[in-house]
Amino acid sequence: MSRPKPDFLAILRTLRKHGVDFIIVGGVAGVLHGAPLSTFDLDVVHSREPGNVDRLLKALEALDARYRTHADMSLKPGRSHLASTGHQLLMTEAGPLDLLGTIGKGHAYGDLVPQTTELDVGKGLKARVLDLAALIRIKAETAQEKDKAQLAILRRTLEEKSKK
Amino acid sequence: MPNRGDPEPDKFNAPSAQPTHSEDGVDLTLIRWMLSLTPAERLEVLQNNVRSILRLRGEQTET
Repeated sequence: MSRPKPDFLAILRTLRKHGVDFIIVGGVAGVLHGAPLSTFDLDVVHSREPGNVDRLLKALEALDARYRTHADMSLKPGRSHLASTGHQLLMTEAGPLDLLGTIGKGHAYGDLVPQTTELDVGKGLKARVLDLAALIRIKAETAQEKDKAQLAILRRTLEEKSKK
Repeated sequence: MPNRGDPEPDKFNAPSAQPTHSEDGVDLTLIRWMLSLTPAERLEVLQNNVRSILRLRGEQTET
């Protein structure tokens, strides 16, 4: 796999095609809500239910997903990795994909679903996206120095949206 | 009522009714522009930005 062409929509379409339950979080969620951010990877929180992990494995196979944290990118994610609360930093044929078992201080898929909205992300493809207020709150829980500028933009976006 | 020929007050020199930046320096005009788009269009903007940056870095030759 060399220089994969980043295509967020292609990754999302593959996840949906395989029936994977997931929530878009991170910078892409911010952008979908109207924040003028730039990000190179797609962050999603997936359901760690066994059936969903099986579907996710098939989707990752279709995307030729491998750990980008390994120099030769030969390691593929397995069932135990996806069932854990950890973060799987992957490279796919459609660009970087981060699969997050939990975010912030331990928020898992089931906790987050009530704080999501289903949006049309392109070409009629619907996907669950973490609400902007929840995104801000959870990001602030574990914010590092690098997150502060992004948090400011997300907060101002929420303010502007509330004026509409 | 102003006479014909009188300069229209505040048309060109008045500051915008809305601030362009927040107190913490965030460009609000970009936020307003993004909010005028649909979520799908916003994702397309991001996608195009990422590809442009990669092309500038010389990391990707395809479009």
